[in-house]
Amino acid sequence: MKKIYTIGALACLFSACKPSVNITTPPTAGEAVFTNYMAIGNSLTAGYADNSLYATGQINSYPQRLYEQFSLIQVHGARDKFYQPLLHSDMGYPGPRKVIGETYSFCNPLDSSIGAVDLPYFSQDVEDAKANNFPVGPNGQLNNIAVPGIRVADYPVMGYGFSNPYAARFYHNPAGGTPLDELKFRVDNLHPTFFTMWLGANDVLGYATAGGQGNGTMNALPAVLNYYSTNDITPRPVFENNYDTAVQLSISTGARGALINIPDIKSIPFFTTIPANGLFISRQSLADSLTAFYASRNYVFQLGYNYFIIEDNAGILRQAVPGELILLTTPMDSIKCRGWGSYLPIRKQYVLTTDEIQFIDNATARYNEIIANEAVRNNLTLVDMYAFMKTLPAGQVYNGITYNTQYITGQAWSLDGVHLTPRGYAIVANQIIDAINTKYHSTVTKIDVNKYNGILFP
Amino acid sequence: MKKHILAASLALASFSSFGAGFQLNLQGLRQLAMGGSGTAWPWDASTIFYNPGGLARLKNIQVYGSVMSINPTTAYGNFQGSSRSVQQSFTPFNFYVGGTVRENSRLGLGLGIYTPFGTGLKWDDNWAGRYIVQSIDLKCVFVQPTISYRLTEFLSVGAGFVYANGNFDFKAALPVQNLDRQDATIALHGNASGAGFNVGLQMKATEHLQFGLTYRSQVNMDLSGGSAHFNVPNILRNTFPNTTFETALPLPSVLSAGIGLKPLTNERLTLQLDLNYTGWNSYDSLRINFTDHTNSLKDMHAPRHYRNTLTTRLGGNYKISKVVSVMGGAAYDPTPVTNGFVSPDLPDADRVILTCGASIKPIKRITILAACEFVTSLKRDAKYNYGNFNGTYWTQAITPGIGVYYNF
Repeated sequence: MKKIYTIGALACLFSACKPSVNITTPPTAGEAVFTNYMAIGNSLTAGYADNSLYATGQINSYPQRLYEQFSLIQVHGARDKFYQPLLHSDMGYPGPRKVIGETYSFCNPLDSSIGAVDLPYFSQDVEDAKANNFPVGPNGQLNNIAVPGIRVADYPVMGYGFSNPYAARFYHNPAGGTPLDELKFRVDNLHPTFFTMWLGANDVLGYATAGGQGNGTMNALPAVLNYYSTNDITPRPVFENNYDTAVQLSISTGARGALINIPDIKSIPFFTTIPANGLFISRQSLADSLTAFYASRNYVFQLGYNYFIIEDNAGILRQAVPGELILLTTPMDSIKCRGWGSYLPIRKQYVLTTDEIQFIDNATARYNEIIANEAVRNNLTLVDMYAFMKTLPAGQVYNGITYNTQYITGQAWSLDGVHLTPRGYAIVANQIIDAINTKYHSTVTKIDVNKYNGILFP
Repeated sequence: MKKHILAASLALASFSSFGAGFQLNLQGLRQLAMGGSGTAWPWDASTIFYNPGGLARLKNIQVYGSVMSINPTTAYGNFQGSSRSVQQSFTPFNFYVGGTVRENSRLGLGLGIYTPFGTGLKWDDNWAGRYIVQSIDLKCVFVQPTISYRLTEFLSVGAGFVYANGNFDFKAALPVQNLDRQDATIALHGNASGAGFNVGLQMKATEHLQFGLTYRSQVNMDLSGGSAHFNVPNILRNTFPNTTFETALPLPSVLSAGIGLKPLTNERLTLQLDLNYTGWNSYDSLRINFTDHTNSLKDMHAPRHYRNTLTTRLGGNYKISKVVSVMGGAAYDPTPVTNGFVSPDLPDADRVILTCGASIKPIKRITILAACEFVTSLKRDAKYNYGNFNGTYWTQAITPGIGVYYNF
């Protein structure tokens, strides 16, 4: 070995040889077969970002990234193309996507900050609105059948595709079938050999993003037939039954796959950006007058950060307590200019109170038990996104960039605070690849996260 | 309320700085050709650097000049692919004038201007480690007036004052992108200066056996008023204002011991061995302090934790005739950079060095020197925990040099 070094060194003296390092090894599929990959899920799987669905978001979805890595594999790697119900434009569908812009305070035009604004030149693209207006495989296959907004609770709902504008774009029978019918149709059509399923977040998120306005006890009754209000938390038996049916359909062609569980909402910027003690008082006189205003309740305000005044679920005014969450959608102008959070409460639909958070935590835990059981029972791999995303608030450093749950600066979450940036989706894809490689003894190459973009600034 | 949502730090990832790769051991061509050894034997006026104590051993005043060309290349690879640094060329030089003030005097005086630290590394702008470094460049010139005195036939001492001046350039991508998906960049440029000393003892046991002991002090390079230029999307102009910065870059102390002997009765062969103990552990962190700060622009602090190193150098000079001599040598230079701190701005690793050279004396008083150094690092599986950037590095450099000296 030493000899070779010396000879190599001498050879280099007389020629312009350059050092080179190549430690890549060809990826392998292990016990998995990635030939026909199908992605099932909701907005997170569809590539939804910046509060809308748009073409660039879709081609940066985590299933697209997974497919690209699967297609690098020679034997049992992904073949053909990856078909998604692609939109035509980056306008946003059906509403505008958010972009970075300057926002001005209503009561103080000099007080500007950098934040998310609706795409200023938005106009609905007519091609985007047309149904079945995207390339599909030779037999009409779609690989990514994710529907933004869909809940596990929605799977047996007849005519669901008619009520959801995203489903309406590609469901083969939007009005006359259920999402389960659609799933069966797509499975029969594609014959997936491998699938990923990331469902369930909306069964609790709908309740959470509405500020906990519906029934949080998991004892909600259907509003109509088997349809549950999107403001409620889906009852456990309904979730379990529907989820199992969807899994059984997905593996009916012998596919292997990955089930991805539901993240903790407390690791999502939508809920964590505005702290419950975000009432900043810069003058003693202001603190004194607020203290006087709430003298009957014995609330004391001090210079610096104070807990907001909120409206709880029963509509009763009180001061927030540690651990309560204020939603990212809370109108800033109302706080800055109309006295919300101080002289007036922050409205209940923008607040998750302690008991509401407990309902959400409880439901998330129950759903994740169901998902974990399904993975074991059907010999599928479980991707513990709940545990992974819990590590993100502290930050994950990747090739020199710190990714965390900070809104905008954390790079992983898009401007809506719930969905991810292309880099965030690549990070998620890498977690899924880790779980797949462990379970199926494959060596799918992980993604170079920084190759894709984070938040873009004008 | 949080006034600016865009708070926190759009983290300036970090950057490190100098290691063994920045220390150049090219201060004399004959010594370079002998593996970089030269503490014991005062060959020529370059002993002003190698051992100031040897200056009083020169027979007369000598003028010495040399220039080298370094062309290092570093390859990087991880499981996703590989890249290679852009070819960089750097031409350090040495100039010495000095010797005994008149024949048989005990007093030697001299001045050395040399390049003990330098080089640079430039990666492709879009390479995987761009958020840590895109390019880094450091050039450092020392000016050393020196005095030497021969106390006895056996012992000669010398001391030099060192004034150091250097340029520092650094460029990296920032983790914010414009609408065209191009990364923002930070560019630092500055001029640093510092002071130190170089002292030595030169011992002549016999005509065939000599010893040397030197200490080159740490030189703290203070950099202030450097320019920090940010190329960022328009909306972030006020978030990353162009500003100035200051930092301190400690160049390490080196304690050297050397032995030289002529083992053959015909006195044609000289062998020498040097040991250099370099005090890298003075360099435990790097701070960049900006003059202006914002929520996103904060001072940078990168932990190092370099360890001291012991370099072994071995070389020989064979005098073929009165006109021609040939040299050869080798050295082993272990890295001061501990694993976990191997940053791509200086992907340092243990180095193996092979050298050769020749000198001719075409006419009386003039000697022409040529030398060539080949350096290869041992391939290193390296981790940089601070930026979580890992991979395998391999560096090679070929350094040819020529020089001439004239004896008055």
